[in-house]
Amino acid sequence: MHDLRSRIAAIVERDRRRHGEAGGESRGGVGTETLGARTAAALPFEVFEQRIVIDDLGLEIVGRGACDPLMLAHLGLRGEAPTRWQDVLWLDTETTGLAGGTGTYVFLLGIAYFCEGELVVRQHLLHDIGAERAFVETIQAEIEPFRACASYNGKSFDLPLLRTRWVMTLRSEITVDESHLDLLHPARRLWRDRFGSTGLKQLEESLFDEGRINDIPGSLIPDAYFHYLRGRDPAIIAPVLEHNARDIVSLVRIADRVAVAVLAARSGRAPDHAPAAYALARSFERTGELDAAFACYESAYYDGDNPLRVKLALAFARQLERRADVERALRMVETLLELGLGSPRWREQAESRVRRLTKKRWRRLASAS
Amino acid sequence: MPNSRSIVLSLVRTSVRFPARVSLEQILDGLLRDEEFQQMVTRWETIAPRPARYAPFPEWLDGRIGAALRRRGIQQLYSHQAAALDATRAGKHIVVVTPTASGKTLCYNLPVLDAIAKDHTARALYIFPTKALSQDQLAELEGESSDMDIELKTYTYDGDTPPAVRAAIRSAGHVVITNPDMLHTGILPHHTKWVKLFENLRYVVLDELHTYRGVFGSHVANVLRRLRRICEFYGSHPVFICTSATIANPEELARHHIEDDVVVIDESGAPRGAKVLVFVNPPVVNRNLGVRKSALLTGRDIAATLLASGVQTIAFARSRVQTELLLTYLRSRFPQPQWPSNLIRGYRGGYLPSERRAIERGLRDGSVRGVVSTNALELGIDIGALQAAVLLGYPGTVASTWQQMGRAGRREDLSAAFLVATSSPTDQYVVQHPEYVLERSPEAGLVNPDNLHVLVHHLKCAAFEIPFDLRERFGTEDTPGVLAYLDEQGVLHEAGGKYHWSDQAFPAETTSLRTATNDNVVIVDTTGPAPRTVGSEYHDGKARVIGEIDRFAAQVLLHEQAIYLHESKQLQVERLDWENAKAYVREVKVDYYTQAELAVRIRVIDEFDRHTAQRGFDLAHGEVLVSTLTTIFKKLTMYTHENVGWGKIHLPEQELQTTSFWCSLPERVVAGWPKERIEVALAGLGNLLHGLAPLFLMCDPHDLGLAVEVRSPHTERPTIYLFDMTPGGIGFSERLFRSYEPLIARAREHLESCGCRTGCPSCVGPAYALGADVRESVAHLLSLA
Repeated sequence: MHDLRSRIAAIVERDRRRHGEAGGESRGGVGTETLGARTAAALPFEVFEQRIVIDDLGLEIVGRGACDPLMLAHLGLRGEAPTRWQDVLWLDTETTGLAGGTGTYVFLLGIAYFCEGELVVRQHLLHDIGAERAFVETIQAEIEPFRACASYNGKSFDLPLLRTRWVMTLRSEITVDESHLDLLHPARRLWRDRFGSTGLKQLEESLFDEGRINDIPGSLIPDAYFHYLRGRDPAIIAPVLEHNARDIVSLVRIADRVAVAVLAARSGRAPDHAPAAYALARSFERTGELDAAFACYESAYYDGDNPLRVKLALAFARQLERRADVERALRMVETLLELGLGSPRWREQAESRVRRLTKKRWRRLASAS
Repeated sequence: MPNSRSIVLSLVRTSVRFPARVSLEQILDGLLRDEEFQQMVTRWETIAPRPARYAPFPEWLDGRIGAALRRRGIQQLYSHQAAALDATRAGKHIVVVTPTASGKTLCYNLPVLDAIAKDHTARALYIFPTKALSQDQLAELEGESSDMDIELKTYTYDGDTPPAVRAAIRSAGHVVITNPDMLHTGILPHHTKWVKLFENLRYVVLDELHTYRGVFGSHVANVLRRLRRICEFYGSHPVFICTSATIANPEELARHHIEDDVVVIDESGAPRGAKVLVFVNPPVVNRNLGVRKSALLTGRDIAATLLASGVQTIAFARSRVQTELLLTYLRSRFPQPQWPSNLIRGYRGGYLPSERRAIERGLRDGSVRGVVSTNALELGIDIGALQAAVLLGYPGTVASTWQQMGRAGRREDLSAAFLVATSSPTDQYVVQHPEYVLERSPEAGLVNPDNLHVLVHHLKCAAFEIPFDLRERFGTEDTPGVLAYLDEQGVLHEAGGKYHWSDQAFPAETTSLRTATNDNVVIVDTTGPAPRTVGSEYHDGKARVIGEIDRFAAQVLLHEQAIYLHESKQLQVERLDWENAKAYVREVKVDYYTQAELAVRIRVIDEFDRHTAQRGFDLAHGEVLVSTLTTIFKKLTMYTHENVGWGKIHLPEQELQTTSFWCSLPERVVAGWPKERIEVALAGLGNLLHGLAPLFLMCDPHDLGLAVEVRSPHTERPTIYLFDMTPGGIGFSERLFRSYEPLIARAREHLESCGCRTGCPSCVGPAYALGADVRESVAHLLSLA
């Protein structure tokens, strides 16, 4: 008897601690009050909707006009390119754990899409785990029309979890990611070197100069939710809703920033930061936009340090060669070799390239004379 | 021929470059006429060849399978294979218990191939205890399917499977080969990625069922509960096909794992060649201490004799170190360049997979003539037919003994197997009572899937996999109680009539199936870089951790300043880090050993069952709390056992809640004895029973704890306790309770036939440590039992 009581006491104590943490986080969050007040209802699940005018988000490319398939490729597209921005479902989940597997629940799915000049953000929150099936059915009905999605690391995190929930509840496949823009990869290529981390929070701070105040750390979210399940205290879940909404909006804005960088580079303004220019150069090479690739390589080569130069020299030399600038290609690779740079393996490749370019130059000289 | 050793020597001298080809018959003949050798032999058993019993292919079997088998020269099936096919077709679970090399794999491959031939969506899951084994089965199955014109994709899914191909395996693999550990952490918790497999699962193959016993088996039984639960979720009802070595209770063990009726198929139809089994007991060197000539050296001589004559031989050692030692000894007998370098190879856990595959190939094609192995080669790895096997020490179970002996003589010709005993009580019992191995196996594979420690862990995993219905049962009757408790703890959350997992943790990763819940103390040798064994194939670099011991034994053996003996080296414990479970030892040369005084208290919490055996010996089993405390240790001189000093031990009291068997003596048998004599007699009888109990339990002696009380507070009589060293117990105590009569009978036999005069480590324990009258006192007790 004593044992049971002490066990319960321990649990209550733990709950109180969690409550304190979560309650503290909830203070000062934008929109907390309005969102929180509404969660008190005894519904098994609920939707919170916000509409944000595109102009207020400061979007330049994303959400405006038609989709450019090449641009989507730069945004990390896998699968067929959607033709309209309205066809893309932006999504972010909050879950009961990070490990994945069948016992990790998605309790909050935030989705967003463009509609009549606005970004519609709809957050589906599950109040009662026992009602998960109805929750998933409702979401399925809502996202059914979408065949393309955009996420931040959704390929390896959100979508596998959603897929698991779909099998567990409906025994069916989720079809929203036939095409998938996973912004994590382009963002990483462009900014990791510059900002160190490419977490959404870090990018917000660095790209938009907006730090999050009183944001609930991701690691506390599962416990906050478990606590919420027991008491349904809206003050506990409000910061999570807030966190999720910000993540989705940031996702859209970050996509726009990537697109802006791409567009600038196409018109000859490669990023100032050499590793970003290099990343774009490779991206342009993949999409076959070779002039833009050349501009980026050139910029990266001049602004970059020696290790980066070594890294891009052979690819850049190929671009120079394509533009019939064999002399410059040769000079560049030879200079790097003379400086004693690069790994033995790289030097081997570079030397063979030099031999090939030299031969080509002689042939050209011979045919010219 | 004068004696065995000179056979070897003369052969080595005369054959400079090539092994002298003397047939196995001739060698055995020589040994039979060798008197010195015959003095060591306790039994020379010739097993007559047995013809095959055949049965035709069943008519319903897919035509392509029969055709392919005929192309391979298989015109009909062995009778047990046909029986397996019939039973599985009727939807019955089976356990096939037939000897090594009797064509067991076809018993499961045929039903599976037939199912897939008829329905290409059908799936099967093969579970093997070890990785190496699954490699081998994969090759075999692919070989079988490729010439049958049946589209069959088989994959191994384990820790080594590259992530890139995992997705393909999940959806496309007809047969997925895995091990219990991977099933536990990699497949079941992600079952939604395996929808195709679980929806269409027709067969689950559990190979080497007898290895799923003890703590590991109790875990596996729970993993299988989870597997069946998931199958139910997806609407499939697979048939289980198990194979097992010969044990006393294959049906019981299989029932524990499958929790359903099982058909036992144990009449082998496979032919067997003539076989000679020789039980060898090395001569006594020191009668007082009960020390015999080393089994290693005796075994080496036998193996060398066989190898020198070109007989392909496998030698099994009990440990890694012994493997290396024997390998070194044998190599020095067959130096290069006179002998090919590939003549003898080692094989054990630490080797690289590619190295292992090369050795297996060498054995099959005959380029490797001899191999020294740990039990790694005991299970069904295909190394072809060897002619002779030499077992250094009793492998611990009859099942292993037959499997190791079965490595020789897989074909129809003559083969030989030698079992060389060490001085340990079990070895001595077995070698002096060979009928124990030769007759019907008394040993049982025991599991206790409802051990609360094990069960709760898997209940959590199961809840993670699929939410629990409030009234659902998972093993124990009290499932709702355990679920409610976990809900209270916040690990589960009740909603919508179900318990849902509500924790961030991934429960399957918090426990390994291979370890018990109690942790071990690791022994770290700080003496300096370990010298490499000459000719060793083992390059571990440091090899500093030399072993581990459970905490209960550690407090006695590894307290600070203790002299710990390891592979006949003296090591002194310099520091014991009890919290982090590490003991740091350093090699020393001293002329004393240490003995810790251990105070054991046993409190009986619950008596499950009790009865009075003949002559008033009271038997019971139940739940107990064992507390142990070490306070001081004595230093005793090596040969005279004089007390030359002592020291204090500062260790916390250890508690273990477990199950125990106990036996209390009626007062009359010790009437008039001084307390000391009762104490000595109880300790001696305890040692004897503790040494022999593993014969029934398929366990290691240290899986079982021993305590004696001259006057037990519970029974109020002199009492011997044998308890399970695993917290919560895994069924040993109940089994001992039920096999008391045969255990006592064996104890009596063993003591009578032991060669010592006053007591030795092979029977009741050394007289010098216990008391000069120990053997006599125990004999007296046994005569009254």
